[in-house]
Amino acid sequence: MSLLSNTAILLGKELRTEFRSRELLTTTAVFILIVLVLFSFAVNPGTEEAREFAPGLLWLAILFASSLMFQSCFLREQTNDTLSSLRLAVSDPFAIFLAKLIANTLFLLLTELLMLPFFAIFYNIPLWSKLPVLILVLFVGSLGISIVGTAISAISAQARMRELLLPLLLLPLLTPVLVVSTLVTASLLDREPIVQWKGIGFLAVFDLIFLTALWLFGEYLLEE
Amino acid sequence: MGKRIVLGAVAILLVIAAAYASFYVAPEERTMGPIQRIFYFHVGSAWAGLLAFFVCFIGNLMYVWKREPKYDWLGVAGAEVGLVFTTVVLITGPIWAHPVWGIWWTWDARLTSTFVLWLLYVSYLLLRTLIEEPGRRALLSALFGIFAFIDVPLVFGAIRWWRTQHPSPVIMGGPGSGLDPTMRKVLFFSGLAMCVLMAFLIVERYALEKMRSEVEILKREAEAQ
Amino acid sequence: MKNLNSVFAAYLIGWAVFFLFYVSIAKRTSDLRAEVERLKNSLPCAK
Repeated sequence: MSLLSNTAILLGKELRTEFRSRELLTTTAVFILIVLVLFSFAVNPGTEEAREFAPGLLWLAILFASSLMFQSCFLREQTNDTLSSLRLAVSDPFAIFLAKLIANTLFLLLTELLMLPFFAIFYNIPLWSKLPVLILVLFVGSLGISIVGTAISAISAQARMRELLLPLLLLPLLTPVLVVSTLVTASLLDREPIVQWKGIGFLAVFDLIFLTALWLFGEYLLEE
Repeated sequence: MGKRIVLGAVAILLVIAAAYASFYVAPEERTMGPIQRIFYFHVGSAWAGLLAFFVCFIGNLMYVWKREPKYDWLGVAGAEVGLVFTTVVLITGPIWAHPVWGIWWTWDARLTSTFVLWLLYVSYLLLRTLIEEPGRRALLSALFGIFAFIDVPLVFGAIRWWRTQHPSPVIMGGPGSGLDPTMRKVLFFSGLAMCVLMAFLIVERYALEKMRSEVEILKREAEAQ
Repeated sequence: MKNLNSVFAAYLIGWAVFFLFYVSIAKRTSDLRAEVERLKNSLPCAK
């Protein structure tokens, strides 16, 4: 069976598992909400300065939420050693990663979209007209977060102190995503909005580079 | 063993010579004055640190390919030595910035990127302490090391773009921005001295790791009896 | 010329860092050698 059909089947499994309980989506969404509220206490909400910080706070919230969300990604395969079954079931181990990272991207994007109305209300930012490009930026950024997050999840699942280790490994790697996504989002939500295609291109290149690295080295991450 | 001592001696001599050149051969900079002489030490260390991390990267790639422990030793040696040089960059940067701009940390693009680089390789070393089994530790840290090194140009690029949008004092205009020819020669000599020192420290750290791995095997044999 | 103090400080601190790193390697190496001696002495006794 080809890579695509393997991936599609595994992706179906990931999505079905999650939508049965929806626990990952709900906890991640609530976490982003909590972080956004807490950030409001840290900056003076409702002021002009708070509006300037808002894009950065949004992406910080997404990054923190993702480092929690990816904990279970490979840990759940350890409980009944389902990872060995998965590896036997597919010809190309990359299918496992591809399925997980697509699922993770979708979950992340879904929680972000759920949070957008709250974000717009808390920081008094009109989003409606810029929604298409904003979703594009959220997508390219979340894709990068998921690609790296899925890989790091596979690493931290095999080490001690994995709850603390995952963010420790993940966040420095994702610095480019945080920096560029914030810049692009900030320009987009500015009074005179500009679409920074250079930034979106950079994020796309980031995604491509790490996807290639995962394709080249993924199978070693899953070795027994 | 003799070769290592020679390498060490050469390294020390070059470092002293480079320091002499930085103070007595290089001309004084017009705007900043004598404080600018830190530049040769600071930039030389930065290059040596990056090169050390590149050595780590090569070790990581070779380990994933060949699975021979010596590449793991090379990886950890490269990472630790790289971290030492990067620490020196992060210390000399603020020492330079403070007299010139009155603040310790200017969020200069290259210095900030260097800090992220430092964090990446600290994470690499921390990861290693959290995996017991040597083979697993070598493989997983090699894979993380590969991801980390690939990320380095992306980090530098992203932060540089960030700084063009929000400018701040730049510690030194890029290497080619009208550097006096004598200064350029002293800079390259300083870089060379730092790289030789880096090579010596990597050799020493590699030897330590090799010995440690052999002792591990001895210990396990002793316990088995 | 007060800035020259900062330059000296930078060089000295930098060299100190390298020196301390080298010393830490040397110490860890000698600790390891001591451990090897201990192990060697314990092995024949176990038999």
